[in-house]
Amino acid sequence: MTPALDSPFLNLQGVSYTYPGWPPVVQGVDWRLARGAFHCLVGRSGCGKTTLLKLAAGLLQPDSGGVWLDGQAVTQPSPMAGFVFQSPTLLDWLTIWDNVLLPAQLRGKVSGKLSGLVGQKVRDKAATLLDAMGLSAYAQQYPYQLSGGQQSRVAIARALVLDPAVLLMDEPFAALDAITREELQMELLNLCRSQNSTVMFVTHDITEAVFLADRVVVMDRGVMTRDVAIDLPRPRTGAVRYSVEFNQLCAHLRAAMDVGAP
Amino acid sequence: MKLLQQFPKTVAWVMLLVLLSLWEGCVQWLDFSPLVLPAPSLVVAALWRGLITGYLWPHMAQTALELVLGLGLGCSLGFLGGVVLGESALTRRLLMPYVVTSQVVPKLALVPLFIVWFGFGTTPTVVITALICFFPLLENTMTGLEHVDAQRLELFRMLGASRSQTLWRLKIPACLPGIWAGIRVAVVLALVGAVVGEFVGSSKGLGALIIATQGSMDTPLMFAVLFLITLMGLVTYHITLALERYALRTYVRKGNVE
Repeated sequence: MTPALDSPFLNLQGVSYTYPGWPPVVQGVDWRLARGAFHCLVGRSGCGKTTLLKLAAGLLQPDSGGVWLDGQAVTQPSPMAGFVFQSPTLLDWLTIWDNVLLPAQLRGKVSGKLSGLVGQKVRDKAATLLDAMGLSAYAQQYPYQLSGGQQSRVAIARALVLDPAVLLMDEPFAALDAITREELQMELLNLCRSQNSTVMFVTHDITEAVFLADRVVVMDRGVMTRDVAIDLPRPRTGAVRYSVEFNQLCAHLRAAMDVGAP
Repeated sequence: MKLLQQFPKTVAWVMLLVLLSLWEGCVQWLDFSPLVLPAPSLVVAALWRGLITGYLWPHMAQTALELVLGLGLGCSLGFLGGVVLGESALTRRLLMPYVVTSQVVPKLALVPLFIVWFGFGTTPTVVITALICFFPLLENTMTGLEHVDAQRLELFRMLGASRSQTLWRLKIPACLPGIWAGIRVAVVLALVGAVVGEFVGSSKGLGALIIATQGSMDTPLMFAVLFLITLMGLVTYHITLALERYALRTYVRKGNVE
């Protein structure tokens, strides 16, 4: 994994956005995300993190500036991007298996019958992902039969099933208990390493950001205030959390978030 | 109190028996005319006679037929109307005033008009039953489609879903609990529609039979028919509940499903 910063994979230039009738939420953000790297975006509630993520996803269109993914302008939700929401957002009426395959179903990659080479590839991928997350036994269950942590895993598997080039995540672990959250962080890192995914991960939890990221960006009232490289060794293990460097980085970012705070 | 908590069902049945005995006792003791209030024993006898002679069966079949046809027709059209109004803001703005106005019209008052239009018999009753079932379905489908979770809609946009994919794979399944609540309301109202429709527009069916027993002063049989109508309502309602439970078995309960 060697991030090439000179040619950004996901490129946001001078991006601004205002919801009608409100002060601007995102103001002139420049952000270059390297291919294959894990980027975290931290900031206080209401600082525009989620809006910036939706702009990167193509769910919102910037008032000025632009977003490019692998050299192509993003003007609508891209099939190259996978999105994980704050809550798992699974469909109650589909089995776990069908929930994971939903992106392929909607994009017409899996026909109703179990045939076709592309369909077979997607199904193999879904099976691999469920297996990697320890959910193979739950494939034919329904979402209400799963715990919150398991539902979050299904949401991640769904986002990854079409091999997206970039994974956009909006505080996906915020509602989970601390231990489940740490388990999922490890699983996510392993998955991203095996797929060489580029990730844009929004969180308000500084330790989560430092543990996961190659680079952490700080946002405050719609403006990007800091871009910090995290030079902790990979693969990251639970022990990293208790190292001196880890805590120094957390303290540094915390201080960066306090600068200019009311 | 303890007895009630331990055997609530037994206590309920015992209470029914006590009430029926009281009714029987009062009628015998006060020497009521069976024309005004027949004793339960007389009602049971009339019911039994009607059932074994086969006199009641065609009437029950007629009412059941109207109920099923009216429910099917009204619910399907109400659902389709709800989808059209829920999906298109323009049609909604255009048609909502008419929908609200026709909601307020007492629909049973239209039975005489329907007899003029459709003649005497099954059709006017089916039409009035369908009309009564139409609105709860329209209302619930439309409201459900407008209130689909915003995050789920974003998920479908993110996955590049077309409008019809979003409608059939997200919006309609998501508002199924509301649609079923509408069907439950429709089932109860449909029976009222069928029976009252028969009062005026038919010579066959349990509603028509009530009018006939009134004419022949056969109050015990009238009570027997009332009992059958109630029974029919209960059976239909519970069948609906069972179907609803099955259809929504994987949905997260939000406390509104019994």
